[in-house]
Amino acid sequence: MGVLDIWNRSNIGSGEILRSQIGPLLLWFRKIEDELHVAFERLPDPDTIVDATGPVAVNVVESEGLDWGRWIVGAETNVVQVLPIMPDRPVVVHPELPVKIPTGHKALFFVSIPIWLRVLAGEKKPIELCEVPVLILSNTWFGDTMSGELCYSLRSRARRQITDSEPNPSRTICPVKIRNTSPKQLNVERLCVHVEHLKTYSGGKNLWTNGITITFRGEEQVSKIEYSSNPPAFEPVGEILSEARTPVKETILKRSIGSFKLFSGI
Amino acid sequence: MFLLGEIDFSKLVTVEGIGSVIRVIVLVGLGFPLLLFICTVVGKAVQKRFTPQVSMLIRKGIFYFGSIVLIISVLYQMGFKLTALLGAAGIAGIAIGFASQTSVSNIISGLFLISEKPFEVGDLIKVDDTKGTILSIDLLSVKLRTLDNQLVRIPNESLIKNQVTNITRFPIRRFDINIGVAYKEDVSKVRNVLLDIAKNNPYCLDEPEPLVLFLNFGDSALEFLFAVWFVKTDFFKLRNSIMQEIKERFDAEGIEIPFPHQTLYTGSVTEPFPVHIVPDKTRKPKPRG
Repeated sequence: MGVLDIWNRSNIGSGEILRSQIGPLLLWFRKIEDELHVAFERLPDPDTIVDATGPVAVNVVESEGLDWGRWIVGAETNVVQVLPIMPDRPVVVHPELPVKIPTGHKALFFVSIPIWLRVLAGEKKPIELCEVPVLILSNTWFGDTMSGELCYSLRSRARRQITDSEPNPSRTICPVKIRNTSPKQLNVERLCVHVEHLKTYSGGKNLWTNGITITFRGEEQVSKIEYSSNPPAFEPVGEILSEARTPVKETILKRSIGSFKLFSGI
Repeated sequence: MFLLGEIDFSKLVTVEGIGSVIRVIVLVGLGFPLLLFICTVVGKAVQKRFTPQVSMLIRKGIFYFGSIVLIISVLYQMGFKLTALLGAAGIAGIAIGFASQTSVSNIISGLFLISEKPFEVGDLIKVDDTKGTILSIDLLSVKLRTLDNQLVRIPNESLIKNQVTNITRFPIRRFDINIGVAYKEDVSKVRNVLLDIAKNNPYCLDEPEPLVLFLNFGDSALEFLFAVWFVKTDFFKLRNSIMQEIKERFDAEGIEIPFPHQTLYTGSVTEPFPVHIVPDKTRKPKPRG
């Protein structure tokens, strides 16, 4: 099964059981007459597992104690599909080593973001059954304690180049270009990526999102954020696997880079 | 009595009088249902665009204004002279003002509360020992639904005079836990374990960062403050999970949470309290073998 095949539709007949794996997440499907049952199982040590298989038929559900969800999809609905989608909230990326960008310079980072999965049933008018994160990220707050927004927190190496390492189907690569036009050096301790505005593309090896360009104009000014409408050009990419959750105009102004320290206070 | 004197009851039995009565019945019978209908429609329309607080104010504003217009129309149909009524209202106002100081005070306090906006409909507030979600902010009182589903009516005046805590005003809150550990424990280990608990709890925010503060050398324990930030809607989930995790993790790591100790001395601080074991002579010795 190829890299892209895992996102294809699969047939499921009454009484059949399918099993799929996207990284550390196992998905189980069970069709009983007009009902479709779906369950998820998280494997231990999530960071090291990069296996991926599309839904394949198995004889029995090997795991016990699964929390099954039931959907009445109709007896004639005998197709299931799993698609990657971006998380439902912004992701605050903390580079493992803080990056400094001098005045007038720019830098391109490849941020690897854990995907969510959207489970669909049916072929012509697919029914959206549920969504589930492949990796559960911890929550964080971006902004001050009186305003701001709830985000997911993500530690990232913020790589500068795409390496030939084994692709990880549970993550999508987001190209982020940062331009520092402010009169001071930019210290990137954390970066708020509004992933809900990003599309997901299937690449030859990896999943990709459209690119983001952030122009930093100073601590006191909002940053200019541009969302590219074109697919990324770092690898031959195919079709759009999922549209952005909340499509946005190409350019918005927002505070997106945090180089300030929030303190807890007593 | 003065107002009743203005009504010419003889007119009521004439054709014109009967006409007035019918008009009054029509006004009351159709006017109030129509007013309620308008309030409902407008309320639904503004609900999507404005906060619950503003929606409620618009709805009530329309209702009070419409009610006044209807009452004046009804009185006019009944033969009241409005100029006399307004004149009477001035005199009556003084009398009523003296008689209803508390109510007037509550109304004025209510206006201050609406303009100052210390809380809005839907906020969770604490007044003295009462904690509840605001259901409505009315002319005379604020109505709360407590966490155990009771209705509490608090006069506006007492809200202006007393301290009110708005618990859910800001999107995130900090949960403070006071923890004591035995004197023998390694302070660094305790700190690391607590930070690790916060890191692995899904309801604890990574930022603002969790805080572990060594507070005091207590009577029976080393006292720490463990403070974690969370989204206001996650309070119960966080509280339940993190308290359980602290207990389980401390048990696993062998960290003792002490209860209050007392040591008795017998005059000298170094010598132990002498204990003399007296054998029980009434008990028969057990046979050997």
